[in-house]
Amino acid sequence: MNVTLNWLKNYIDFEFSASELADRLTMLGIEVESIKQPGVELEGVVVGSVSTIKPHPNADKLVLCQVDIGETAELQIVCGAPNVREGMLAPVATIGATLPMGLTIKRAKLRGETSEGMLCSEKELALSEDAAGLMELATDIPVGTPLATALGLDDTVFELEVTPNRPDCLSLIGVAREIRAETGNPLKLPQVDFTEDGTDVRAMTSVTIAAPDLCPRYAARVIRGVKIGQSPPWLQQRLASVGIGVINNIVDITNFVLMEYGQPLHAFDYHKLSAVKHGLASCALRRIVVRRAVSGEKLKTLDEVERELTSEMLVIADGEKPVALAGVMGGYDSEITEATCDVLLESAYFNPSSIRATAKALGMSTEASYRFERGADPGIVLAALDRAAELITELAGGTICKGIVDVYPGEQPLTEIRLRPGRVNFVLGTALETATMEEILKRLGFGIEESRPEIAPTAVGFGIEESRPEIAPTAECTFEVTVPSFRSDVTREIDLIEEIARVYGYDNIPTTLPKGDIPVPAPDPKVEVRRCVKQFLLASGMMEALNYSFSNPNSFDQIRLAADNPLRNAVPLQNPLSPEMSVLRTTLLPGLLENAQRNRNHQIDTIALFEIGSVFIRSREHKEPERVSGVLAGQVGEGVYSHPYRHPDFYDIKGLVEGVLEVCGIADYRLQKTGALTFHPGRNAAVLLGDRQIGIFGEAHPEVLENYDLPYKAYLFDFDMEALVDAAIFAKRFEPISVYPKVERDLAIVVNKETLSDMPTELIYKTGGELVESVRLFDVYEGEQVPEGKKSLAYTIIYHSASETLTDKAVNALHDKVVKRLNEELGAELRM
Amino acid sequence: MKSELQAIQAEALSAVKDVKTPDMLESLRITYFGRRGKLTDVMKGMGKLSKEERPEIGKLANEVRATLTAAFEETTRTLHRQQQEQQLEAESVDITLPGRKPAYGKAHPVMQTLERVEAIFRQIGFEVVTGPDVETEYYNFDALNTPADHPARDLHDTFYLTDGHLLRTHTSPVQIRAMENQEPPIRIIVPGKCYRVDYDVSHTPMFHQVEGLLVDKHATFSELKGILTSFARQMFGEQTQMRFRPHFFPFTEPSAEVDISCTVCQGEGCRSCGGTGWVEILGAGAVDPAVFEAVNYDPDEVTGFAFGMGVERIANLQFHIPDIRTFYENDLRFLRQF
Repeated sequence: MNVTLNWLKNYIDFEFSASELADRLTMLGIEVESIKQPGVELEGVVVGSVSTIKPHPNADKLVLCQVDIGETAELQIVCGAPNVREGMLAPVATIGATLPMGLTIKRAKLRGETSEGMLCSEKELALSEDAAGLMELATDIPVGTPLATALGLDDTVFELEVTPNRPDCLSLIGVAREIRAETGNPLKLPQVDFTEDGTDVRAMTSVTIAAPDLCPRYAARVIRGVKIGQSPPWLQQRLASVGIGVINNIVDITNFVLMEYGQPLHAFDYHKLSAVKHGLASCALRRIVVRRAVSGEKLKTLDEVERELTSEMLVIADGEKPVALAGVMGGYDSEITEATCDVLLESAYFNPSSIRATAKALGMSTEASYRFERGADPGIVLAALDRAAELITELAGGTICKGIVDVYPGEQPLTEIRLRPGRVNFVLGTALETATMEEILKRLGFGIEESRPEIAPTAVGFGIEESRPEIAPTAECTFEVTVPSFRSDVTREIDLIEEIARVYGYDNIPTTLPKGDIPVPAPDPKVEVRRCVKQFLLASGMMEALNYSFSNPNSFDQIRLAADNPLRNAVPLQNPLSPEMSVLRTTLLPGLLENAQRNRNHQIDTIALFEIGSVFIRSREHKEPERVSGVLAGQVGEGVYSHPYRHPDFYDIKGLVEGVLEVCGIADYRLQKTGALTFHPGRNAAVLLGDRQIGIFGEAHPEVLENYDLPYKAYLFDFDMEALVDAAIFAKRFEPISVYPKVERDLAIVVNKETLSDMPTELIYKTGGELVESVRLFDVYEGEQVPEGKKSLAYTIIYHSASETLTDKAVNALHDKVVKRLNEELGAELRM
Repeated sequence: MKSELQAIQAEALSAVKDVKTPDMLESLRITYFGRRGKLTDVMKGMGKLSKEERPEIGKLANEVRATLTAAFEETTRTLHRQQQEQQLEAESVDITLPGRKPAYGKAHPVMQTLERVEAIFRQIGFEVVTGPDVETEYYNFDALNTPADHPARDLHDTFYLTDGHLLRTHTSPVQIRAMENQEPPIRIIVPGKCYRVDYDVSHTPMFHQVEGLLVDKHATFSELKGILTSFARQMFGEQTQMRFRPHFFPFTEPSAEVDISCTVCQGEGCRSCGGTGWVEILGAGAVDPAVFEAVNYDPDEVTGFAFGMGVERIANLQFHIPDIRTFYENDLRFLRQF
């Protein structure tokens, strides 16, 4: 909402500069989002009077004007506007002025004649789109007046962010009340003064509220004999300054009062309301019925849209049909037109939830609905109505019918709240005097009365510790606070505490550290596993990626999930941003592959990414298991002479997987090829713990690569984080380090090509028992010197004893046994 | 003989000076000390000397021997040193050739920021807990004092699932879950993903928040200020100024928005803070009694405060990324920068 500095000063005196005021309001909780000075753009533009006009000697369409701008010499200005005439007042951009469009005025010669400024149209000053001729100014403005002053634009406009709980601040008077809280200066409310004429309003209209739950109060006046026309400049300026469009004097007045009091009003053309029929003759009475719409009933609103209504919606009806959508928008057929002479003016209070639901259902938001749905002030209904009636007779003529119709079935006593001053200090951590609290609440418009001392001091005791003397229990007195009708947001003691805190100033509240006990949290194995895995992957050169939780349903095809794969059963969104983000992800792999694709498209080929994140499993209770997945593609290394690029292969991804398992302390897993369609059938493995698959890794299937436009192989891994957490062993215990020397023996064997490399390894461990410390495969060879169908495997075996120095003899004996066993069980031949 | 010894010494000392290589030194050593060496020969002749001469010449011979030995040893060392210097010079490398740097990865910038935030709060006794991304209306709104027709719901453009669940719009539902599951005192922070229907340079449909909650017999607004001031100084630097502005959240009262002095201009006012000198970093407030009632805590027995901050926003105070969506593109050239 916008307010202006000068307009505010109509309702309260204050000395703040624009930026000071902005700061004060912001620190009261009404954030000033911007401060604008529209007049600044018109600097150098003044009001000038065209005194004489001569033809231009060299141009038919131009004239030479002598213009008085209140200085000793008149200016000669060349002008081509069709409406220029002697005696008119128009804006003059003087030399040096820069117009809003960016044009800077210079002394110039136009067709040989000097021009010392420019006479301007509204469009040239960015005041309107009117470029037909010069802007005409009222002749009573003194020449030389800065145009901004003449137009009332030398003001400062504040754009306020009013939080949803403070509808009372959606008006000039509301903001002025906040300034009162800050300064203590009194409010200057409009003094309404008018006379009513002979006709009794009850002869003109009657109001029936058929839905008192949705309309607690409805008041109306009738003004007869008005003349519809333009509003005077001051009113137009006021509305324009806060961004409200000008329509006609009656509507402008209702908008003005809306801004002034925050009370939405509506003006009906009295004669467009249907007359009550008595038999055949219709009498003058126009009924107003506030009722729920009949389902399917239609109403054309002011914006010329025909709305179909539901029985949830509240309408203002005449004797026959809806004439306005209550609290949201008036009806097209009863709007004020140039032909209107009698006006029925409505001022009401509607139920916030109802207005909100209606506006939402119809996709409408108006100045009125915005205020009603947040909560208007039922107490201001009559004052606003009178103010508008007064302005109408003042600006549009007419007479106000005698009396007011005010139906108020929902009248409620003002809310009363008991405030314990001790509680204020207890919650805030302050040591405020009760007098300070009282003063603040009074300035905010609350009624306040001290109650009799309470007997029970426990009322504010709440176990206050003696070590907190700053919160001395002031249990002796409590206040009975009466909430003004405009503060419907204040219903509880805590609401009053907030009022005291914000006016006292959050910055004045002390800054202390918590004194309570520090809870001791139990260690979380999930956090530990996540940390270890992440640390390892980062140390291995993998970059961490973060992808949206949303996924494209076709990604399941892209990674070739089988038709019956449960991962295809993703949770759909009801209102997705786009089809590409229309389900919740069930796997991290598509996101990572898209990242690879994107990087590849930007010619980045060293792709090593991992992500730790939740996936979403469709079920009644919505499981969100966490996974850790990675992609390796393109090249590894740095591509420098010492670190040439190479393509990653199966064993790179396997190394990462082994590392992940190792840092989790998981050793007793086994690998098994799977038929998972995402992967190359011969280059993938599931990681199994017993029968539980905890992860999978391998080379992406060529079709998957194609689906992501990857011109090279990509390797993937995907682990179930919860399975890792379940299996992780972090209990670390010291194992004695042998003080005896170790013995190293190399062993090269030739075996059948199909023999898996871990078979000899396992056999060596099995044969050597405790004395084999490690077995390392350091060479795998096929080709020359190795027979067809065979391969050579070379191992380094380290023999080591914890209790003695191994002799050559002992090692040789053991090593021979190993060789013999390899030969017997795997047909391995020693390679010489 | 005396003169002979002196001549040998002079000759040998002169010769050793010209020695250039260990080989030359060795042949010189043989010339003097070898079996047939000049000094050896002289020493062999000692037997022929008279008893009177013998001690004097013997002494002289020993001195010559010692002098020459020392000279030879010195030369050996010099030669070794020279040889080593030559070798080291030959081994000189081009220090501008690239090093063999082990590959290393980097945590995502949002996670780096999140981890810093977590570390600061852990240090002051906050436990890290998490909650589900898929939530119910109850936890995301109702229990947080935001009933269905509350205007504050307009501020959250919510993603709904087809089964009536929703994606949480903030991490605050975990406040409720935590209070349902444990008794005070509570000190938790809740990092996590949140979702809102929003997609432009300063909004992503998924983003991260860190929620904080402290509930105790007597937690005060002044302590909220203390905790957050301590956090901001650690996160943004000792010189950081703070401002608590009254604001509105349905689930806290009193509520505040918290600004820090602009990290670009240090509060002078610049483009990145819109000229105000302040940038908003979080929302906070005392836990609203209605929230305590929703979890069956007695608002007269406990008080508490809560706060929440957007991680991307805090990260961007440091990184100044013009389009926040870049965070989720995972461009390696981007990720490498942090």
